[in-house]
Amino acid sequence: MIPVRIAAWGAVAPGLDSPADWQAWARAPRPLAGECRPDVKFLPAMQRRRCDGLSRMMLAAANACCAETERADVRSVFASRHGSFGTTVSMLEVLAREEPLSPTQFSHSVHNAQAGLFSIWAGNPELAQSLASRNETFEHGFLEAVCLLSREPARRVLFVTGDEALPEPVSSLCDDPDPPYALALVLDRHESDGGPALEFDLSDADPAARPDWPGALEFLRWWLVEEGELRLGAGPGCFRFRRAP
Amino acid sequence: MSVGCRLAAVGMHHALGAGLDEIWPRLVAGDREGFVERDDLVPGSRGWYGEARGELPPVADSLTEFDCRNNRLAESALQQIREPVQAAIERHGPSRMGVVVGSSTSGFAEAEAAFRERESSGSLSPSFSLAQLEFGGLSEYVARSVGATGPRQAPSTACSTGAKALLSARSLLELDFCDAVIAGAVDSLCRLTACGFSALHAVSSGLTNPMSVNRDGLTLGEGAALFLLTRESDGIQLLGGGESSDAHHMSAPHPEGRGAEQCMRAALADAQLQPDEIAYLNLHGTGTPQNDAMESAAVARVFDPSVPCSSTKPLVGHTLGASGAIEAGFCWLMLDRRGGDGAMPLPPHCYDGERDPELASLALVAPGEVVVPPRPAAVLTNSFGFGGSNCALVIGDPR
Repeated sequence: MIPVRIAAWGAVAPGLDSPADWQAWARAPRPLAGECRPDVKFLPAMQRRRCDGLSRMMLAAANACCAETERADVRSVFASRHGSFGTTVSMLEVLAREEPLSPTQFSHSVHNAQAGLFSIWAGNPELAQSLASRNETFEHGFLEAVCLLSREPARRVLFVTGDEALPEPVSSLCDDPDPPYALALVLDRHESDGGPALEFDLSDADPAARPDWPGALEFLRWWLVEEGELRLGAGPGCFRFRRAP
Repeated sequence: MSVGCRLAAVGMHHALGAGLDEIWPRLVAGDREGFVERDDLVPGSRGWYGEARGELPPVADSLTEFDCRNNRLAESALQQIREPVQAAIERHGPSRMGVVVGSSTSGFAEAEAAFRERESSGSLSPSFSLAQLEFGGLSEYVARSVGATGPRQAPSTACSTGAKALLSARSLLELDFCDAVIAGAVDSLCRLTACGFSALHAVSSGLTNPMSVNRDGLTLGEGAALFLLTRESDGIQLLGGGESSDAHHMSAPHPEGRGAEQCMRAALADAQLQPDEIAYLNLHGTGTPQNDAMESAAVARVFDPSVPCSSTKPLVGHTLGASGAIEAGFCWLMLDRRGGDGAMPLPPHCYDGERDPELASLALVAPGEVVVPPRPAAVLTNSFGFGGSNCALVIGDPR
């Protein structure tokens, strides 16, 4: 298995913000309904105006765990199942009415919008990837981050994942849980200088039963309070996480 | 970690046709017959589009919930490489075959139709499913169509998607998560991108005219390019790649091409090559005033002015996320179709011939131009996207 250390993390969801909030939620999970509009005062006003709901959540999670000194040169992976879906749906409605599209809305609707906004805010010229994989989006984003770590083990990777709640009329088309959330992890390979470490690999074993939460929240809950092994994925095969001995 | 990264096979479908034997002669001839005039994409406006030439196959019978033009384009490219893909799955097992196939449009065209239906009838068309619209629906379609059960993901970084997909696939091979990977990108014409680029005033009034003093924007296209990547160290190789971010603006490139230069230098370093070892450079060359200004400046800072360059977007249009994979496919074809004497015909840079004197001078490929690079040969291709996402790939003979 591949060793990975979580050097820092940050997460936001409706009513959950601080590590203590998340610890309490992980011990007794409750539904995550309602709006999630975290404070993004750390962004310049111009950029704040350009942020949709997903950008606010992802950048708030990244800001909570990625120090200013690190932000400018960390490599990053952004993973979201639906991306700026609220923006996409509103553009589809505009097109259906044969009205003109907003150029700003269009350029901020790309799947790598959050990666782009992060790089502009942080002044970060490094590699940034963004991807999706339906109900295995967290797992594949983590795998991509592990690949980047393994290519240059001396450098950290920022992994940010999240989604908005699906808007009408498409929410009824999705069977998977879709609470709004964002999770950011700063990952490294420092194997000797302490800090909680985990191991990761792909396995032919079956994944756990259908999860109650998106992969990222299943992972965070496990990481904060559970023992043993976590198996995620839609199968066949699974993504396996274990606490390092 | 010195395993090979062989680009073992490629399938393509776009305005130059479907299949390498159809595409190759049109590519070196500078065939622009694939563009069609349409008035159904941007209300009140006629324009040229690089439509995929020829019939598209249906999606696989068992996967009709994924039925959309984008996945039919994927299926067309996939059918061209199905034989080596099946051989690799039989050899290594389905869980060792990965899929890294991305898009910037996925099934937008079908979503647009579904939302038009809702405007009149009150509900989305019943044939519409989220699997058509999700980017991850594309990678899942490709995986299930061939029976691959390894990692499957859809990268989506606007117009650098296809190039970056190949580098993510290479990592899966290098780190032994997979023995073979299907990688590339697919994008299809739709109103959302046509209206979006039109709203940004980025669309050419005629056919795109890169590097010309008269250039006035891009011409949209569509297409698919899917590669089979394996860990073999022979054949045509993905020798290196470089990725960077402009950290400048969401829809405009850095004016001096800082990120473009950084990713080209990183790709050369990754491939352990010097700039003078690159026999040909496939430009991003969108034909917008900003792209061509910054790209020519960045290329001129990295390379000798004698390196032959062309944009192939005047032949297929700007296929957005698919462009990086399609242009890597053109590089692959040039290397694959070299003559016994090593002679390599180059895709011509098709434009009005009125070079912009304000741009750094590049050696734009003339029709019929052939080079004879010493073996091992290498070529480079550039891709730059919204969000300041940049990627350069180096493709060539094993070193």
